[in-house]
Formats: sequence, C-alpha cells, structure tokens
Amino acid sequence: MLLALVAIFLAQCKKDPSGSCGMGCDLSDIPYKTTAYTIQKPAHFPQIPVPADNPMTLEGVQLGRRLFYDPILSADSTMSCASCHLPQGSFTDNKAVSTGIDGIAGRRSSMSLLNIAYANNGLFWDGRSATLEAQALIPVEDPIEMHHTWPNLVEQLRQHPEYPALFRKAFGIDNCCGITKELTAKALAQFERILISSGTSKYDQFVLGDPDALDDMELDGKLMFFDEGQDVNLPDAQCFHCHGSITLTGNNYFNNGLDSVASLDDFIDKGRGEISRNRTDNGKFRTPTLRNIALTAPYMHDGRFPTLEAVLEHYSGNGKGVSNEDPFVRQIGFPLGGSVLTYSGLTTYQRNAIVKFLHTLTDTSFVNNPDIQNPF
Amino acid sequence: MKFLPLILLLSMLAFFSSCEKEEPQADKNFTLTFKTTYDGVPMEKYKNFAYGDRNIQINKFNTFLSDLILVKQDGSEHRLSDIEWVDFTPDLAPNDKAVEVKFQYTVPAGDYTALKIGYGVRPDLNAKKPTDFAPEHPLYRENEYWSGWQSYIFTKVQGLYDLDGAGDPESTLTYHCGSDAVYRTSSMSANIPVTTSNGSLTVEFDVKKLFAANGGLLDLNDPLNRNTSHSASNIDLGVKVMNNFANATSVK
Repeated sequence: MLLALVAIFLAQCKKDPSGSCGMGCDLSDIPYKTTAYTIQKPAHFPQIPVPADNPMTLEGVQLGRRLFYDPILSADSTMSCASCHLPQGSFTDNKAVSTGIDGIAGRRSSMSLLNIAYANNGLFWDGRSATLEAQALIPVEDPIEMHHTWPNLVEQLRQHPEYPALFRKAFGIDNCCGITKELTAKALAQFERILISSGTSKYDQFVLGDPDALDDMELDGKLMFFDEGQDVNLPDAQCFHCHGSITLTGNNYFNNGLDSVASLDDFIDKGRGEISRNRTDNGKFRTPTLRNIALTAPYMHDGRFPTLEAVLEHYSGNGKGVSNEDPFVRQIGFPLGGSVLTYSGLTTYQRNAIVKFLHTLTDTSFVNNPDIQNPF
Repeated sequence: MKFLPLILLLSMLAFFSSCEKEEPQADKNFTLTFKTTYDGVPMEKYKNFAYGDRNIQINKFNTFLSDLILVKQDGSEHRLSDIEWVDFTPDLAPNDKAVEVKFQYTVPAGDYTALKIGYGVRPDLNAKKPTDFAPEHPLYRENEYWSGWQSYIFTKVQGLYDLDGAGDPESTLTYHCGSDAVYRTSSMSANIPVTTSNGSLTVEFDVKKLFAANGGLLDLNDPLNRNTSHSASNIDLGVKVMNNFANATSVK
C-alpha cells in the first residue's frame, strides 16, 4: 500500500529528462509567501486585466523584471528582451527592424510595450499570440531573435545560482525542476503588465482638467486627431478611429494604406494575413499605441518613416485605394464634394499641429520610472 | 519507521491535492444566438452583394444591444442582460464569414412570447465611459467609445459601394451611429419555450434592411448617405440606420 502511494505521489512530479533535478536542488527550505502586487495606473485609465491563472505578485514582477533584462534568454547570452525593448525608447529599440543574435535583421520593428497589459486582441504586429504569457515564449526560440531553445534555457535557469530561489519565491516550486518555460513566461508577463503610463503627460494634464496644458497649436492638433474641429473649421484627421480613447490604440488590425499593390496577394509582408491565412487580412497590422510615440521612431511595422512628419504626410495622401484599406484612411481632410467624394488631405500647418499634439503624449516619468529599469 | 504514518498522510494529501477540482458549471439553460445576413444570405466580409443595380461590401458590423428581456404572455419579464456587445466581424476570425455570437443565460422555465431589445447603449449606461467598467464588461471597450461624443458607438457598419458602376465596390461606407438620440427599442414576438435544461432563440440582423429608405434603399450615389462617423453633423443618417434596426431584426 505504502509503495503504491509513494509511486503515485512520485508520478505527480513531471519527469525531467535532463537530469538536473537531483537531490541538490531542493528549495523547500526557502520561505514561500507571496505579496500581492497592485499595478499602479492613472485614475483616468481603464482597469487592467490580469488573468486568473497568473495573479500579480511582487515576487513574480521582480523575477520577470530580472528575466526581461537578462541575456541568459538568448543562445549566446548576448541578447535580452530589453535589447529590442529599451525603456528610453518606450520599450522599442528605435530601429527600423530589429536584429537578432546571429546578426540577421528581422522584418519588423519592435513594438512599444507601453500599456501592453491592455492588449486583448492579439500580440505582435500580426496577432499571432493571444496573451502575454504565450507571446513571451516565442522570441526565445525565434532563429532571427534569441535563437535559443527552451529546454536548454530552462536547464540554465535550473542550474543558475540565483534563479531557482527566485522562482521558488514567486511560484512556490519545491525543487529546481519546477522551473519551466511556462513559469518563465508568466514572470515575464507579470513584469510587462506593470509597464503602464504614468498619466503625467501634457495630454493627460489636459484630460484631467487643465485647459492650459495644451497650447493653441497642440489644441488644434488634438481637435483634428479626434475629429472635433468642425466648429473651428478644422478638418478630420480620423486618427482616433484606430488610436482612440485613453490608451490611444484599440489593438485592432488595419491596412492603413501604406502600400500600393495590384492585388491583395502582392504585399511583401502580409501581416495578419500571414497568420490567419485569410487573403483579405493581407497587409493588415495591429495598431500600436500613440502614447510616447515621439520616443519610438522610426514608424510603421517596417520602420519606413523616420519621423512623425513623414507619417502625417503619408496619411494626408488618403491611402492607395487597395480594397481592404480601412475606409477612414481615405477620408482625411475636408470632403471636397461631388458625387465621388474625395478629401483634401491636410495642410502643412495641420500636419504640424497634429505632430505637435503627438508630442504632448510623451511620458518621461514612465520611461524614467526606476521600477522598470535594468536591475543588473 | 516512526514517521511512516506521517509519510503516508502527506503522500495521500499530495495525491489528492494534485487532482484538479472541476468547477461546477453554472446553470445556463438558455442560449441566445445572433446572426447576420445580407438579403437573407449569410453575411461575408469583402463579398460583393447586390445593392440595386450596383454592388456593395460590408466589411465591419458590430453593435451594442441593451435590455435584452424575455417576456411571457402575462407580461411578466425576465431580464437576460443589461448590455451585450455583438461583433460579427472580429479581427481574429479565421475567415471572412460573419461569425455567430452566442450568449448563455439562466432563465426560469416557462413559455415566453417575446424578446425585447434595445439597439445601442441605453442612456444611463451611455452616460458612463469605459474606465467605469471592469475588463470583462461589454462597455469596457475603449475603441467603441468616442470621447468627443461622450457616447459609445452603438453600431459600426463599414464597407464599400460600387459608385463608379464598374462592378467592384470602391467608395467607402462608414456608419458609426451613437448618442442617446439614436437609441431605439423594439419587442419581437416569438414562441420561446424554456425548460429547466434547455431553451434557445436566434436573432438575425439583415444588414441590407439597415439601408431601407422611402420604400426602397438609401441612395448611396449621394455622398451624404455614405458616411456618418462622428458628431451630430450628419446625425440624420445615423437616425435612419438606427430606425431601421427593428425591421432588420428577425427572431426564430
């Protein structure tokens, strides 16, 4: 009876083929008592969704922060998450496309992680991961990013002089063999969920009731951005349809009129369509937040525009007429009348005013927040 | 061996604590399904449908519905929901076919004879904003709220219209309808038997009927009939669309 129970009990433990989980990595003497972590957010921001199976703890966030900045995540220990997501770039790398450990350039620009906790409609530019926990698993093994393997990384973490104890404190594992890629991803996700705006940008001050927070030109830009300028004869820039409300992204997928292609099959980067295998999704990409946009140049999924001025010049052109373009991309400016309704685009002043407004979204308190900096 | 009883006890505790507990399923006995069609044909994004002698595409269709209430013959009511959001064309759908959207509720057994629907967000809820709601609430959606209106966008219908008559739709259609002025309600009669274990109702919206006007269809050759996306500047068009919702609705 005893043998049977012991056998059943032992069977509950997952076997570890690497053999690193021997007698020497018992962690049960280390106290396990987590501290609930409340994510700090501005009062005028939406509530932050947290999955029930990965509650926020101080220990989880601290572990996630360390993992985020630790190059142990890459095969040659030269590249961490922060290599492409640096705080000073609002968690981008300010490059058109990112380069992995083998010197191979990727196809896309690193997306800002600011307010990523709110992203509930897929992650990456193409929505290929549903959650932060699922997302965190991918770059480690991507051959043009960290080019590691999870079995090897997990083995490194299990044999590390410090990580087993940190995983114990965060997740209560009894033995270093309890370290898994799933727990590693959970810790990374917990850290990423605290990357929330400080709510102190000039725009936030305006939203919170300070009418003098924006000067006249910035206010003109805001009115056009949110299509609120009719009474003062300012045209619609239609920005808010995709970059709406407080976080300034709806995390939806659009063809925003970047490429003139003969057919939907001709996009060089098919974006969402590459994942969904749905032709009409070709050329669609997830909308990034515009908060801290002045810190994240260059712009678009491939970094094709070096400046915000270039971005506004693009949008002022009213799209390319490709069939799956978002309709608002073709409605920028004043309607020019006539049966075939065309739009004026934006004047230089109007474009500059919107760029000036976009600069009011800069949140230096966020990028300088000591709680999210490199702990090493 | 003196620790044998303790080892035995701990082993048993470990074994039984490792078994995942199954959460009891909530007693949801009623399924409400929403579908959308175009002129009776299942709706599909980027598909050409006939609009008079031209073609039209409907590439986005979503809507808030308030006060979903089942009504019995004697007039007594059972409230299913204060508010739901129905998105027939989600970004992450596997293909272009409009999805069916299902909700499940707990409903007392009985014979119900009607479904009440509010089209849009009823005024007391529309006075709130996304930050007032928890992430799982339908009204949490920031991108369905326009701060300039101080209103939710009740309904979004977007697509293309073949203005030049060449065959393929190329001119944009954008109907973003919102504000208390366009909130509408209706009551749809139907036989809706509900037992303690089972009950269902399917609500279908025919998008073509949202374009009804003067016994025919909205003249989409008129640019004023092709776009209402914000502000009260073209609220008449939003009113027309929302007025048509009840006639575009069928239940079965």
